[in-house]
Amino acid sequence: MGSTLRLYLTCIRNTLHAAMCLQNFPCQEVERHNKPEVELKSSPELLLNPVVICRNEAEKCLIETSINSLRISLKVKQADELENILTKKFLRFLSMRAEAFQVLRRKPVQGYDISFLITNYHCEEMQKQKLIDFIVQFMEDIDKEISELKMSVNTRGRLVATEFLKQFI
Amino acid sequence: MACIDRASPALKQILLKLYRAEKSIEIDHHLYEFGSVEYHIQSQASNPLVAYLSLSIPPLCHGTLPNTLSSYTIEKIKGICPNLVEIEEPAREGFQLTLKLNLDHIPRNKDYVKVIEDISTIQSVILSSQLKEILWNVNSDDAVQGMYKPIKVVYHPREPFFVIRQPQKIIAIFPIRFKEKSDVIIATAFFQELVDVGNSDKWIKTPPCSWSAIPPPELRGEAFEDLNTNGGFVSFEISSRHVEGNRLDKTVWNLLNFNANVRYHVKSTKGFIHRRMRKRLENLVQVLHQTNSEENEQTKQVKKHQGCRYTKKLVKSSKHTMKQRWRTLGRKIKRIPFRLKIHGFTRFRQRWLRFPKFSSTKYTKLE
Repeated sequence: MGSTLRLYLTCIRNTLHAAMCLQNFPCQEVERHNKPEVELKSSPELLLNPVVICRNEAEKCLIETSINSLRISLKVKQADELENILTKKFLRFLSMRAEAFQVLRRKPVQGYDISFLITNYHCEEMQKQKLIDFIVQFMEDIDKEISELKMSVNTRGRLVATEFLKQFI
Repeated sequence: MACIDRASPALKQILLKLYRAEKSIEIDHHLYEFGSVEYHIQSQASNPLVAYLSLSIPPLCHGTLPNTLSSYTIEKIKGICPNLVEIEEPAREGFQLTLKLNLDHIPRNKDYVKVIEDISTIQSVILSSQLKEILWNVNSDDAVQGMYKPIKVVYHPREPFFVIRQPQKIIAIFPIRFKEKSDVIIATAFFQELVDVGNSDKWIKTPPCSWSAIPPPELRGEAFEDLNTNGGFVSFEISSRHVEGNRLDKTVWNLLNFNANVRYHVKSTKGFIHRRMRKRLENLVQVLHQTNSEENEQTKQVKKHQGCRYTKKLVKSSKHTMKQRWRTLGRKIKRIPFRLKIHGFTRFRQRWLRFPKFSSTKYTKLE
């Protein structure tokens, strides 16, 4: 299980390393405007082929690249209904505070749980390698956090059940 | 949580305030609490040793129990604090019960808190006795094929539960409903843990509990609106050992507040999840800012080192040039020809008229 995760993350890291070659490119349609082309998708010559990296049916990563921006969308594994609601709540919580992360998108792409948008300006302000490290670390942290949350909720439930049943003795 | 404690916290606080008051005070309070209970506490300044407590509480089971309190319930109330509590007849308008509290009979030692707490549990005493009466008054005519008809108990208007009497045991079934889907999922996870813990060997003395998504067979024939749930059904089997002696009151109170306990657990779990998410967000953002600040620090350090080297160069070069200038000046002064020749002055000049040497290694601090 751990080895498949490592392979999955390594594949994503290598793909990001190759895809994150961004440069400033003014908008071709509107004068004096500079827009992330991966969001507009108005000029096919500025877009690269999107890449989908699947770990299994439930976990996948979509990387869409353009000349001046890159969009990464993640689908996190959800084994049961409790993980489903915890993932939904947590990622929605993070998305609503996207300004704190700078590279996070407020709304995920349809079919995915969370999305990042990296532009050439981010690559100029921050180091490319550090950005890639951050995204890969973020993926690991999310998985870990969801598992810990689920365990905490079950542990709390068990403690409360024990205390409730103690009152009958 | 107020509804889970047997003693009403608001009532207890008012009675303690009345008891501890140094001067006689006038009190006239109306309290409304969980379970559609209304209290009215009155005390006059002219007679500070007496207080009147009126209580209005709906019956647990409409149709089975009358609106007025039964003699069994009244006996139970009288048994709370016999010296202190007297039942006023008739009760005040709008209330089912009015008690006269003789505050001068409350002991002056540390036990006064316990006595006041016992008075504040009056609601739980009434509810417990009503539930006991319901269970004892189950008629054998109600039995169909050995199974008694389920009795619908309403403690909270939107959260009824059912009690079914059987020869060896009593089954309490709670239909669970929540407005939000996430609450249903958290509650279902809790019920699974409750069933796991209840069925383990360590907790064999507790009432066996079970959870099912569909209505159990004991509730066959009940109204559709009562059986329409999204959280399933939780059942407890109460046997004779759970109702012996003092355990009867505890068991009855726990059953009455099971729904409230579950809702409180769901609410506090959601609060816990939010606190954890907030903390995790801070950690994740800190990592990103730390990365940025590390990059900034690295660039600053590179600039700083470059600056240090430049100043060192500057200092070294300035010392060297200074020395050189002094030497040349000294040589020039020595070469200046004097018109007046004084015998021995040349030697004096060479020996004493010298410019001091600047040592680069030693530094003497001027104080």
